[in-house]
Amino acid sequence: MRALGLFALVAALILGTGVLQSWNSALIILNMGLVSAIMSLGVNLQWGLAGLFNVGVMGFVALGGLAVVLTSVAPVPAAWAAGGGRAIAALILGAAVITLAALAWRGLAHRRRGLAVAAILLVGLVAFRWVLDPATAAIESVDPAATGYLGGLGLPVLLAWPVGGLLAAGVAWMIGKTALGLRSDYLAIATLGIAEIIIAVLKNEDWLARGVKNVIGLPRPLPYEIDLQQTPGFAERAAGMGLDVTTASTLYVKVGYSLLFAAVLVAVLVLAQLALKSPWGRMMRAIRDNEEAAEAMGKDVTARHLQVFILGSVLCGIAGAMMTTLDGQLTPSSYQPLRYTFLIWVMVIVGGSGNNLGAVLGGFLIWFLWVQVEPMGQWLMGLLTAGMADDSAIRNHLLDSVQHMRLLTMGVILLLVLRFAPRGLLPEK
Amino acid sequence: MKKWLLASAASLLATGAVQAEDAKIGVIVGFTGPIESLAPAMAASAELALSEVNDSGEFLEGVTLVPVRADSTCIDAAAATAAAERLVTTDGVVAIMGADCSGVTGAVLSNVAMPNGVPMVSPSATSPALSSVEDNGLFFRTAPSDARQGEVLADILTERGITSVAVTYTNNDYGKGFADSFDAAFQAVGGSITLTAPHEDGKGDYSAEIGALASAGGEVLVVLGYSDAGGKGIIQAALDSGAFDTFAMGDGMYSDALLADLGNDIDGSFGSIPWAEGDGATAFSELATAAGVTAESSYTRESYDAAALIALAMMKGGEPSSAAVAANLLDVANAPGEPILPGELGKAMEIIADGGEVDYVGATNVELVGAGEAAGSYRYYEIKDGAFSTVSFK
Amino acid sequence: MDLLNALVALANFVLIPALAYGSQLALGALGVTLIYAILRFSNFAHGDTMAIGTMVTIFVTWGLQALGIGLGPLPTALLAIPFGILGAAALLLLTDRMVYRFYRAQKAKPVILVIVSMGVMFVYNGITRFIIGPDDQSFADGERFLISARDFKAWSGLDEGLALKSTQAITVVVAVLVVALLFWFLNHTRTGKSMRAYSDNEELALLSGINPETVVRVTWVIVAALAVVAGTLYGLDKSYKPFTYFQLLLPIFASAIVGGIGSPVGAIAGGFVIAFSEVLFTYAWKKVLGYLLPASLAPDGLVQLMGTDYKFAVSFVILIIVLLFRPTGLFRGKSI
Repeated sequence: MRALGLFALVAALILGTGVLQSWNSALIILNMGLVSAIMSLGVNLQWGLAGLFNVGVMGFVALGGLAVVLTSVAPVPAAWAAGGGRAIAALILGAAVITLAALAWRGLAHRRRGLAVAAILLVGLVAFRWVLDPATAAIESVDPAATGYLGGLGLPVLLAWPVGGLLAAGVAWMIGKTALGLRSDYLAIATLGIAEIIIAVLKNEDWLARGVKNVIGLPRPLPYEIDLQQTPGFAERAAGMGLDVTTASTLYVKVGYSLLFAAVLVAVLVLAQLALKSPWGRMMRAIRDNEEAAEAMGKDVTARHLQVFILGSVLCGIAGAMMTTLDGQLTPSSYQPLRYTFLIWVMVIVGGSGNNLGAVLGGFLIWFLWVQVEPMGQWLMGLLTAGMADDSAIRNHLLDSVQHMRLLTMGVILLLVLRFAPRGLLPEK
Repeated sequence: MKKWLLASAASLLATGAVQAEDAKIGVIVGFTGPIESLAPAMAASAELALSEVNDSGEFLEGVTLVPVRADSTCIDAAAATAAAERLVTTDGVVAIMGADCSGVTGAVLSNVAMPNGVPMVSPSATSPALSSVEDNGLFFRTAPSDARQGEVLADILTERGITSVAVTYTNNDYGKGFADSFDAAFQAVGGSITLTAPHEDGKGDYSAEIGALASAGGEVLVVLGYSDAGGKGIIQAALDSGAFDTFAMGDGMYSDALLADLGNDIDGSFGSIPWAEGDGATAFSELATAAGVTAESSYTRESYDAAALIALAMMKGGEPSSAAVAANLLDVANAPGEPILPGELGKAMEIIADGGEVDYVGATNVELVGAGEAAGSYRYYEIKDGAFSTVSFK
Repeated sequence: MDLLNALVALANFVLIPALAYGSQLALGALGVTLIYAILRFSNFAHGDTMAIGTMVTIFVTWGLQALGIGLGPLPTALLAIPFGILGAAALLLLTDRMVYRFYRAQKAKPVILVIVSMGVMFVYNGITRFIIGPDDQSFADGERFLISARDFKAWSGLDEGLALKSTQAITVVVAVLVVALLFWFLNHTRTGKSMRAYSDNEELALLSGINPETVVRVTWVIVAALAVVAGTLYGLDKSYKPFTYFQLLLPIFASAIVGGIGSPVGAIAGGFVIAFSEVLFTYAWKKVLGYLLPASLAPDGLVQLMGTDYKFAVSFVILIIVLLFRPTGLFRGKSI
C-alpha cells in the first residue's frame, strides 16, 4: 500500500513535469530514471541482499558504455590491418601472463612464490608492452581525427546491452577473486580505486575506444527524428494528434526508449524478486546477517559473495550500456564518482536497502530530485532574495550558486533518511 | 536533402506564419568550466551582432532576434546536451550560436541539433574530427580546424629554428586532437618530439608530468591546454622547477588572465590564436568597444561572425526558420556579392531585401570551405614585457 | 660533474616534489587514521573537511591581506590557519553532535557510519561550492622561492637547476612540527594517553573512567587541525580547488591503509610511500641515466615504467597489493 502510494507520487512528479515544463523534459527524466532504477537494483543486490560494500559502480557503468562501442560501431578495416592482430595477440599474452602468475601463486611453495610471481609479472609487463605498443601506435595513427581505433563489431546496438553485462561480469569476477576476502571499508576503498583505474584505461587507451576523443554518433535502436519527419505518414499522424512534426518525432523516439528500458527494468525486477524469495535469496540473507553461523552450517560464503557481486555488477553494466545508447556517445571524462557511484548509493539507501521495489523507487525519486533541485533552488533563491537590491552582491552570489544546491540536498536527504528511516522509504520485509 | 528542407520549411511556415514575432537564437558557451573567462565576451559579441540586426530596422518584417543563453560547461557532454535540449524544445530556438568546445559541440550536434533539424554555428570548436562528422548540412563553424593550427604552430617553431620540443596537452578531445595534428605537422617538417604527455585539468599537482617532460627534454614546451585550467598549472610548475623557460602555446592558452597570473615570467614565450587583421577586425574592435564589449579576447570575432551569419541567412531565406539558416548560410558567407564588414549588417539586409548578393567578410575574413568551416587566419604572437605582441599573421 | 648533475636533476624533479606532496598526504592520512582509531570508521568526508577548513583559512587570509597584515616573506595564510582550525573544529563538532553521535549511541556497524560519512561528504561538498564556488583560488603571497632554478645554475655552474619553493620548505617544516606535537600529545599528556587507551581497548578504557565523549571531541578537534593544516599547505603549494580536495581522498586513504590504518606512524610512512611511488613510477629516467651512463649506453627511449596518465593508478595498485598480501599495512594497524 505504502509502495503504491510512493510510486504514485513519483508518477505524479514526472507527469507534473510534463504538464508544467514540457513532455520532452518529463520523458528525459523518466528514461534516466529507468536506467538509474536498474543500477540501483544492482547495488541493492550486492548491499541489500549480501552486505557487500561496492563503491565501484562507476567502473561497471563505464564498462557497459564501452560495450556499446565494441559491439555496435562498424569496424575500422584500416586500423585492423595496421595492428589489429598484434593488439589481440598482446591481450592474449597479457591474459596468459596473469594466468601463469596465478598458477605459480597456487603451485609454488610459500617461501619462494612471492619472488616468482613478481618476476613473472614484471617480465610479462615488459613483454606485453613490447607487443602492444607498436600495435597501438599503428592503430592510433590511422586517421586519428575520425577513427584511430579498432572500431566495434558492427552488430545491432541492442546486443550491446547483454554484452555490457558480460563485460562487467568478467571484470567483477576478477575483482571478486582478489578483493572479496576483504570486508566493508577495505572493499569500499579497493572498488573505488578499481573504478578509477577503469576510467583511466578508457581515457588513455585510444586504440580501444578513442579515449578522450570520445566516440560520438553511436548507432541507435530507434529511428532518427529527422528520418521520421520525412516519413510522409508520420507528419499526418502527428497533425492528427495536434502536434507539430518536430515535437512529435522527438517524443516518438523518447517514448520508444522508455518502452525498451521499461521492458528491461520489468524483466530485471521480476528476476530479482524471484531470486529474493528463492532458497538462494534466503541463504544470501542468512549469510549477510550472520556470516560465521552460515559458514558453520556449511555454506560456501566466499563463493556466494562472488556470485552476488558478479550479478549486481552485471546489472550496472547493462544499465551503463543502456545509458550510453541513450546518450548516443561515449565520453569517458564524464564519468564522475559523485554522479555514478555515490548518487546510486543515495538511491539505494533512500529507497530501502534489501527491498527491490525500494531500490527502484529510490532510483526514480532521487534522479527526479537530482534534475529538478536546480530549478527549484532557483525559484527558492528568487523568493529569498526578492527583497534585496538588484545589484546586491549577496543576491547575485546566491543566484549564481544555485546549481550547488544539488549536492547539498542529496547529502541532507541521505542523512535524514539514515537518521529517521534507516531502513529506507520501503523497508525490507 | 533539398526535398526535406523544403518540406520542413513549409511545415514551419505553416506553424510560424500565424505569429510573426521573436526569433530565438541559442547562445551556448561555457559560462562555467575551463574557458569560463572567455565565455562572457564571446556571448556578448554574438549578442552585439543580433542587436545590430534588430536596431537596423531592416530585418524581416516584424521579427526581432532574441538571444537565449545556456551553459555548455565546455567539457560535460551530458550537461551541454541537456542545456541544448532545453533551448530547442522549451525555448524553441531556431538556430544555435555555439557550442564552444569541440567535445560538447559534437555531442550537441548529434544529440540535439540533428534530431531537431536546428543549425549550429560554432565560433570556437576547432577539433579536426568535426570536419568529417555527419551533420545533415546543419553544422558550420567560423573557427578553423586544429588540423590547420597544428601546421601553423609547426611553421612558427621552424621559423624560430626550433627542432626539438616536448608536448603536453589537456586530456580531452580538443587537446588530444590538436596534439595529434601538431605532432604530424611538426614531424613532417623535420622536427623531433621528445615526448607527448597529457595533463588532466583540475589537478593541483603536476610534478610527475613536469618530471617526465623535463627528462625527455626539448628546446621549448608546447602547451596545448586551457589558460584557466591545467595549462596554467603546467607552465607554473615548469617555471618553478626550472624545467622549461619558453613555451609555445595553442589557442586555448591565450588569455589576459594568464598574463596577469604569470606576468613577466613567460616573456619570450609565443603561440598562435585564430585571429584576423584588416578592415573587418578593426571595424569589429571599434564596434565592440563602443558597445562596451571586450574585443581583444579569444573568439569574440568568431562569435560575432557566427551570429551575423545566422541573421543574414535568415534574411536570405526570407523567414526566421532553421531551414532558412541551414540552406543559405554558405551562400551569404562566400563570394560572389557585396563584401560586408561588421557594422554594415543593416546595409547587408537592405541588399538582400532588394534581391542582391552579399559576401559576408565580417571580423575574421569569413570564407567557409569544405563542409562549412572557416579557412582561417592565425595571429602569431610573442609575449614581450608581460603583454601579447603580434609577430605576424599566418 | 655528471654525477652531480644527475643528483640535482633527481632532487629537483623527484625528491623535493615528492617530499612536499608526501608531507601533505601524511597529514591528511593522519586525520583519517585518527578517526579510524577512535571512532572506528573510514571517514569519506575527510577530503571535503580539508576543503571547507581551507576555505575558512582563505577568507581570513584575504581579510588579513586587505588589512595589510602579513608575515613578510612568509605566506599570510600561516597566520590564518588557527582561524581555519577553529572553523573546521566547530563544524566537525557540530556534525558530530547532530549526526555521528546518534549512531555511536546506537552502536551502529562501522559500515553504516561510512555511509553516513558519504552523506556528510555531499553536504560539505555543497557548502564549500555554495560559499566559495567551484573555481581555483589563489591565496599564496610572500617570497616564492628559497632557491630558484636560475640562481642555482648560476651559483653552481651545473647544467641542471635546483628549485626549492618556499611553500615546499614550509610544508615540510610545518608537517614535521605538527607531527612532533601530535606525538608528544598522544604520548605525554593525560588526554592523549586516554585517547590511546580508548583506541586500544574501548571496554577497558571505559572501566578505568575515561569519558568517551571527551575523547571523541578531542579527536575531532585534532582532526580539524590536521585537515586544515594539510589543506592549507596543499593549497599554498599547488592551488585551491574544491574538486581537487575531493579527489585527494583517494591517495589519502591509500596512504592510511598502506601504512596500516589506525597507526599514526603508518599514516606518515604511507603518505611518503604513495607520494614517492607516484613520482618514481612515472618518472622518465632518460635524463638521469644520460648523465650517469657513458655516452654509448645512454638510452634513446624515455625509460619510463608507466605513462604519467596512469600516475594515479599507481597508488591504487600499491594499495591493492598491500590489501591482498598484508591487509594490516606496513605498520600493523588494525585489521578489519
